[in-house]
Amino acid sequence: MRARFDIGLRAAAALAVAVVMVTVLPLLAPQFTGRFVDDAIAGAGAGRLTMIALGYLVVAVAGQAARMLTAWLARRAAWDATNRLRETLAGHALGLDMAYHGRHTPGEMIERVDGDVAAIADFAVAFLLDVVASVLLLGGVLVVVCVIDPRIGAVLLAYCLLIGYAMTRVQRRAVPSATLVRATDAEMIGTLEERLAGAEDIRANGAGEHTVNGFYGAAAAWFHAEYRAGWIGSGLVAGTSITFALGTATVLGMAAWAQLSAGTAVLLFQYTMMVRTPFERLIDQLRQYQAALAGFARVRALLSEQRTLPAPADPRPLPGGALGLEIDHVGFAYDGAFEVLTDVALTLAPGQTLGLVGRTGSGKTTIGRLILRLYDPGRGAVRVGGIDLREADPASLRRRVCAVTQDVQLFAGTVRDNLTLFRPLADDDRLRAALAEVGLDGWDLDMRLDGQAFSAGEAQLLAFARALLADPGLVVLDEPSSRLDPATERSVERSVERLLAGRTGVLIAHRLSSLSRVDAVAVVEGGRIVECGPREALLGDPASRFSRMHGLAEAAR
Amino acid sequence: MTGETRNDASRHNAPRDHSAAAGLSRAGRARPVWLVAVRLARFDLPRFLIGAFLWLPVMVIPLAGGLLLQRLFDQLSGARPAGLGQILWICAAFVGAEAVRGVILVIAHTYGTYWWDAAATLLRANALRSILTARGAAAARLPHSSAEAVARLRDDVAGVVSFVDEVVPLTGAVLFSGAAVAVMASIDPVITLVLVLPMVVIGVLSRLMSELVRRLHLRARVLGAQVTAYVGDIFTGVLAIKTAGAEAAALRRLRAHNRARRDAAVKDSLATDLLDTATDATVEISVGLVLLLAAAAMRRGEFTVGDLALFTSYVGWLAQLPRTVGGILFRLPQAAVSTDRLTRLMAPHESADELSRDTGVWFYRDRPPAPTPGRAEPLELLQADGLTVRLGPAGHGVHRGIHDIGLRLPRGSFTVVTGAVGSGKTTLARALLGLAPLDAGTIRWNGETVADPGTFMVPGRVAYASQIPRLFSATLRENLLLGRTGDDLARALRLAAFDDDLARLPRGLDSLVGPRGMRLSGEQIQRVTAARALARTPELLVVDDLSSALDVETERTLWDRLDGAGTLLVISHRPAVLERADQVIVLDRGRLAGRGTLRELLGDCPEMRRLYHGDVLTDLL
Repeated sequence: MRARFDIGLRAAAALAVAVVMVTVLPLLAPQFTGRFVDDAIAGAGAGRLTMIALGYLVVAVAGQAARMLTAWLARRAAWDATNRLRETLAGHALGLDMAYHGRHTPGEMIERVDGDVAAIADFAVAFLLDVVASVLLLGGVLVVVCVIDPRIGAVLLAYCLLIGYAMTRVQRRAVPSATLVRATDAEMIGTLEERLAGAEDIRANGAGEHTVNGFYGAAAAWFHAEYRAGWIGSGLVAGTSITFALGTATVLGMAAWAQLSAGTAVLLFQYTMMVRTPFERLIDQLRQYQAALAGFARVRALLSEQRTLPAPADPRPLPGGALGLEIDHVGFAYDGAFEVLTDVALTLAPGQTLGLVGRTGSGKTTIGRLILRLYDPGRGAVRVGGIDLREADPASLRRRVCAVTQDVQLFAGTVRDNLTLFRPLADDDRLRAALAEVGLDGWDLDMRLDGQAFSAGEAQLLAFARALLADPGLVVLDEPSSRLDPATERSVERSVERLLAGRTGVLIAHRLSSLSRVDAVAVVEGGRIVECGPREALLGDPASRFSRMHGLAEAAR
Repeated sequence: MTGETRNDASRHNAPRDHSAAAGLSRAGRARPVWLVAVRLARFDLPRFLIGAFLWLPVMVIPLAGGLLLQRLFDQLSGARPAGLGQILWICAAFVGAEAVRGVILVIAHTYGTYWWDAAATLLRANALRSILTARGAAAARLPHSSAEAVARLRDDVAGVVSFVDEVVPLTGAVLFSGAAVAVMASIDPVITLVLVLPMVVIGVLSRLMSELVRRLHLRARVLGAQVTAYVGDIFTGVLAIKTAGAEAAALRRLRAHNRARRDAAVKDSLATDLLDTATDATVEISVGLVLLLAAAAMRRGEFTVGDLALFTSYVGWLAQLPRTVGGILFRLPQAAVSTDRLTRLMAPHESADELSRDTGVWFYRDRPPAPTPGRAEPLELLQADGLTVRLGPAGHGVHRGIHDIGLRLPRGSFTVVTGAVGSGKTTLARALLGLAPLDAGTIRWNGETVADPGTFMVPGRVAYASQIPRLFSATLRENLLLGRTGDDLARALRLAAFDDDLARLPRGLDSLVGPRGMRLSGEQIQRVTAARALARTPELLVVDDLSSALDVETERTLWDRLDGAGTLLVISHRPAVLERADQVIVLDRGRLAGRGTLRELLGDCPEMRRLYHGDVLTDLL
């Protein structure tokens, strides 16, 4: 931490020195040309004129070198700063609840974490490189011109103030249009990302041309936004150009009127031109600044996005060992819409396993999500290890409650990355052991996973290995074997058994076969628990829904 | 760099890629860029020319500015004495010239936006169209992460279009430079000649550096795309990361990616800066040279202060030429890299030609919807022989390729493909549909050999409900129809057993399903996908693992309805499905292990017995 800070200080100091050089050296150069003209007219010797010209050369080239150095230092500093911003944003967004991620595509998140920050990065470089140096140079020029002729200096100052005022006015108008450009761009890119991810579905459904037409629509919206923003942006550039021509003409007119020497007029002309360059750079940066402002606005919006699940005031860690589960008369509705769970009550002693059975859309998955605290219940409470999840320490919750989800996401990376999710949590022997337990022995930890050629069953097996590596006290298995065929399932069953040994387990299952090891069964229907009890007891009761489902399965076979 | 390597390795069938990867001569690599550049200039030639013509005054008007300054300084220094009034008139003319230039600039810029955006959209739409409709398997050319493909369509397209755009300032700079050099030579030919030299140096320098710049730029792009892809990955897998509590670790990895990108990006821009700075320094050196060379002439009175003002004013603008030439030379290798990366998104038989084809601009009107394919020739018999797909480098221990598989699907039959995890069930379906590249084998539709399954085995002949279905952020109706008319929608929804779910949705078919269909449950997504396939009224329906997430009752309803609805090819290991099948095809590690009815196979296929009885025993409890 400290070392990194020291490097930061050194870089800042170096940058400061470089910026001063970038300012001072160009200020010196016109002094040489002004002197040259006056001396030449006065008939000075060739040697003296040559010396002045050489002096100009040295100063001018040194100025360029300083600029180069500044660029290098500024870019590094800006990248460091914006990379930190990217990490902060990604961290913040990862911390947001699933309710948020349900509303935003990965493509949109790419734009917000990477695209918006890129605009800011461009501006940060420009700010360190152009804005600071330009403002310093501008100040220097004004001082020098004031020394030459205070009246001309005053006119120049008035001009700069006028232009500065006008610029800020125009910029206020430009920001909304730049925001619209970025929004339509993000929409277009987001559409592309989603459609490319589903390319095979689109092809197989013969919907290629239709999808391309959809892209044309998004591109048209982007063009119309860019067109409007283009008027304002180019108008700003042209306006500055004209205004500065007016400024140059005024200064030269005044020089003629004040009957200054030709050398002084050349000197003033060059200084006025020098004001123009930093101002043009500032305007140029203003466009990036607009994009950056829009980026900043969106970054702020993302950062101000709050978790809908409140953090506990006094976070309590979950106890060790197997964790009891109590779902205490819970009601729940997504987005405040109609209730998907009504008065759900379940109790599970530590070390026991429960199978959740029910029709499609009955609310089984939602119960699992509540146990993981991806959402908070609207009514009632979910307690794990005797602690209301709203009061539980989130880190401890993630450590102690583990899930195997329906859709397994594989990351572009090695098998190791996908097992540990980038955490340095286990030595390779443990990783290999976990792979072996789910029947993926022989897989090289350094093998890179290619999502295209990977079967969903294999992804599911990998998710099992992930779960085995964690040491949870409560496991939620959401259809863990939905994509496994029976032969592979048997090998997994052994590891599931090992995973559940000494732990509490909730199996959200559609297949009766996966319920063979549970202690209790709960049947969910329309968001209510309609039947709950020890598995054997339900099976033994011919009137129970559970035994009826068994009958159906038998008949189907 | 791994993305690149993987792509090349998986596309060994395409000779074009070999040559691209091996690195042809510079000219060979640049040729597609030129084709794309010419196409981009020509798809709306009048607009491109008018746009370019509008820019020319913007570039040339500074000539007048220099001449006015010359007059002004000559009068100020007394070389050409005049009254204050005349000086003020010159000043006014100076402002007037700039005002005209400003107005033209706004018009040129706004007018040019259309061309720029249209050109970028043209390339993007062509690449997208090729990925979604061209012959050959799309999987082979798409990078692993869709985010990486997006990065190409975003950044590489922008690079290519900017390169072409650069032609306009080049023309302007040439015009200005020609005129300026003529004016200067009439004043002092020797100084003019000397000034040309540093400009040549700049041109040569930028040419020499272009290879280095290209390499640095490619690296920065690749590392940039990796960051983008990684960010996309972590938000696609946000649930896995959250439930594992791996947020901090995921961020650490992001930091590592970020660092690598920073280093590459700083080096990349340093190379650009070096060229920029060299150009600026040339201007300064030139002004210094003018001073040095003019010293003697000024003393003699042959070179006035006005001339000095004109020279210094022109030198700055003159540097535009080597700068623009340098810029083009600098962008050319980048554009070549970008064109190469974009072309690799196209099908193997396609090239930069298809990438840059004029497919119209659709900014002010909608493109007419694609015609719904008419009814296909009824399927009598689908035959496949010797289907072979080799996936990935050998020796992985992951079995996912298939070897020498044959199929025979008569009209109205119900065929089930089954096998253990990684036995190649999904690969077989994808190969049949042309989604995975076929290394060997033939497919015959009613006896006619299918040349390209990817474009033949589509609606109205075949429809497919995949194992991991994708829905899009849109309404349920749009997801189901994807451009078709809705005539068969009600029937499709009923067959897919989604009618009850639909009745429960408050907004029905107008419900938004959320990004990637996240507002629906996994099992609902599967049935929507089935309905989407059925809405295409296919002759053959291919269904991958449809009932895996369904409960027993829903599953039974579904198969009751689907059975007899047409010719079916189903990937499943569910006993209820296997029993309905007319024929079952058993795969084991990519090879055929058995074929027949379930009853026959249970008699003579050990792999079938192993698969089937595994479930029977556990279900007996």
